[in-house]
Amino acid sequence: MVEDNMQKVINLASEIFNEEVKAWKEAGGRVIGYSCVMTPPELIQAAGFLPYRIRALGNVKTEKADSYLSRFNCSFCRSCLELGLDGTYDFLDGLVETNGCDHLRGMFENWQYAKKTEYFHYLKVPHVINENSLDYFEEEIRLFKESLEAYSGKKVDAESLARAAGEQEAVRERVRKIYSLRERELPAFSGFEATALVLVSSAISPQRFLELADQIITEREGGKIAYRGTRLMLCGAATDELELVKAIESLDGVIVTDSLCYGTRAYARIIDPQAMLSKPERTLAEAYLLDLLCPRMYEDYARRRDYVLKAVERSNVDGVIVMHNKFCDVHGVDNVQLRMDLERRGIPVLQLEKEYGSIADVGRIKTRVQAFLERIGVIESGGRL
Amino acid sequence: MAVLASNEAKTAGLFNRIARMLEIIENFPDEVSDEELEGVLAFLPKNVAPAIGAVLTGRARKAGLSFLKMIASSILGAKRASECGKKVLLIPFNCPPEILHAFDSAHPITSEVLSTLGVVALEGQGERYWDIAMGLGLPDHLCSANTIELGSVLGGNDFKPDAIVQTAPGGCDVNSKIHEFVANYHKIPQFILEKPVDDSPKGRELYLKYNRTLISRLEEFLDEELKEDKLRAVMEKANRCAELYHDLWDLHKESPCPVPNLFSLFTYGTRFTMWGTDEGVRTMEAMVETARKRLEERAYPAPKEVARMLWVYTSYYFDIANLFNWMEEKGYTHLGDGLDLFFPEPVDTSSLDSMIEGIVNAAWNMPMTRQVGGEVMSVSWSDDVIYAARELKADCAVYCGHHACKQTWSVVSILRNELMDRLGIPLLTLQGDSWIRRITPVGVIQKELDDFIKNVVASKKRRGRRKIADRRDK
Repeated sequence: MVEDNMQKVINLASEIFNEEVKAWKEAGGRVIGYSCVMTPPELIQAAGFLPYRIRALGNVKTEKADSYLSRFNCSFCRSCLELGLDGTYDFLDGLVETNGCDHLRGMFENWQYAKKTEYFHYLKVPHVINENSLDYFEEEIRLFKESLEAYSGKKVDAESLARAAGEQEAVRERVRKIYSLRERELPAFSGFEATALVLVSSAISPQRFLELADQIITEREGGKIAYRGTRLMLCGAATDELELVKAIESLDGVIVTDSLCYGTRAYARIIDPQAMLSKPERTLAEAYLLDLLCPRMYEDYARRRDYVLKAVERSNVDGVIVMHNKFCDVHGVDNVQLRMDLERRGIPVLQLEKEYGSIADVGRIKTRVQAFLERIGVIESGGRL
Repeated sequence: MAVLASNEAKTAGLFNRIARMLEIIENFPDEVSDEELEGVLAFLPKNVAPAIGAVLTGRARKAGLSFLKMIASSILGAKRASECGKKVLLIPFNCPPEILHAFDSAHPITSEVLSTLGVVALEGQGERYWDIAMGLGLPDHLCSANTIELGSVLGGNDFKPDAIVQTAPGGCDVNSKIHEFVANYHKIPQFILEKPVDDSPKGRELYLKYNRTLISRLEEFLDEELKEDKLRAVMEKANRCAELYHDLWDLHKESPCPVPNLFSLFTYGTRFTMWGTDEGVRTMEAMVETARKRLEERAYPAPKEVARMLWVYTSYYFDIANLFNWMEEKGYTHLGDGLDLFFPEPVDTSSLDSMIEGIVNAAWNMPMTRQVGGEVMSVSWSDDVIYAARELKADCAVYCGHHACKQTWSVVSILRNELMDRLGIPLLTLQGDSWIRRITPVGVIQKELDDFIKNVVASKKRRGRRKIADRRDK
């Protein structure tokens, strides 16, 4: 029944208000939405809510959002805002804003301006790492916890926080396991499947995800996917577009690893649940600030580059695709630097700018990827192996 | 100006070309007659002469000359810095330069001012430097305000700063990222000052700590301790500049407005470069003196003041003659733009600590930092614009829609609603690039402004201003 489980994951990943969230809501549960990898879902979970990572799943309609944000704002944020305004996200009882980037800030401000949620909290995350910023972020985590306590009407004690942290760490550990199976010589997962698993990991309860993930890992550990030799790495911004990943992989390539916001960057950190018993805020602050591999951080480029280089080596990657959504400045600039540094080391790179979710863009991207594969000599001219 | 037509000029960097031009301007007398100006303009390339002519137009000439000489002092000071044992630090416009003026061994120059000078005063308007950046694969949604200058640095055939002080994180992603890219590309030391997006005392405290760290790192880099006496001398001049800023602010309230439109640009040009220096004080004094004289004479460039416009963020700079001067000759007063909204406060000069706290406060209040670097950018930006519009008796507002400005674009719809709800003032939203003429021709901008004034502002005035209470003030 392995494929049934994988298919179930794909179905869950393809729907925003998925059946697991519906069941949670029907049982009287409340859901808190967040968008950035610097938001600790442990806290939301410990307060008794379902943490749900906001995504747009390739939604291309942005008419309502465009009357708030502009065409000069990233289409991922416009897509998410659209879903907030058109009622798709009405199941969210609350939102957590982070200052991830200028577009994201605008998205949350407009969302709150046009349609207030019952609960709203702004978690402010520093752009640099030092003792002062760490102390500040620790205090921010404490304020976030207090705000959740006020909304839930109950204290978040150390035990429940450690329990939630243990479950969230188990989720991350399973995703890391899935990535290790994906990155091996004979991959057990396609990029499409891995992306679906990552998306589901932050859209259902941790317990349910662990059940599904364990069954799928057991089945896939000894197997391999149909795979014809081209190993790609995908780097860049918010990429929750399953169809895009599928389209790239339709060209005789498989994405064996990534450095994506909806990918490994969300799962790299390791948190010891025991540490949550003694100094929970500090532990979370260190985990979520020190391990934040995002181009919105300054004086930290070398670490992001090295993370990619290690993944390239570990996964035996033939070429790297770096992508950013049009108007995304943080990735748009970082990607140029990354391209230069990778090429300097002889690693082939395809740098792409795209419109989020655009079906028209998928065709263009496929053409560019095919040309890239031909250029790096993995496939012959004409697209044949 | 034969030097500009030479082959060398065709490959030279922006800074070096600007510096050559300013070496000529440096030697201008303090007073220039119409005939002398005509003679100078005749030598300039045809797409440069109108801009210089606009800056030195009769009604603004004294201040314009003072401004140009101040800018010459800033840029040539950087060029000659190494001869004087100084290091040149490149800063973005939201970095208060007075902290760097207080070091004997530092000389600040400002990316956006250099870009603007290139656009205003160089043949080709700096577009070739933008193209260098694009040629490296950098995205076309970068901000031309700094990428024109930084493109020249990236090109490698130009003056290179000794370090970059980067104060945009928290306020602007695109500004922060391109400066970081240039620093990494050329291995130029970079000093970061983040603005926490937190208006609470906790955010202020963190910002003070960050500033103190920055000062320590600069002291180490420059091998010079920040001296109380030197800082006091700078801050006293900064305080004088602040006084003059408020004098000019009050003069803007008069109708017809006695302050020439271009003084908006001169004011923030001073703030971003020579605030806290003798040259800065002289330029601010020249502006106030000119405006006072014009008030006495009831002088205004048009038969009547048709509209009082507040530009809510940047203006357009690629054709200042056909924007700033054209507007006032049509009776459209430019009351200033968002970059003028830095509301300087007098700094207590009694001790080193009080002065550092004053500078930190000034940094917090720099344009962009204060508004879109605020906790909720739509709120802090709207509050400032609405305050300025009310104080300066604006009857309309214009958002220039500089396409790279993602933060303001992301909340301008909120600003538009708030301006209408709280003051009954319409906002015109344009689209273009403030520094590159390739995107929107100035003729289109003029037509949009004309149509807006004629169809919205003037007809609204005829109907009488709507009485809409300011709900937030209640």
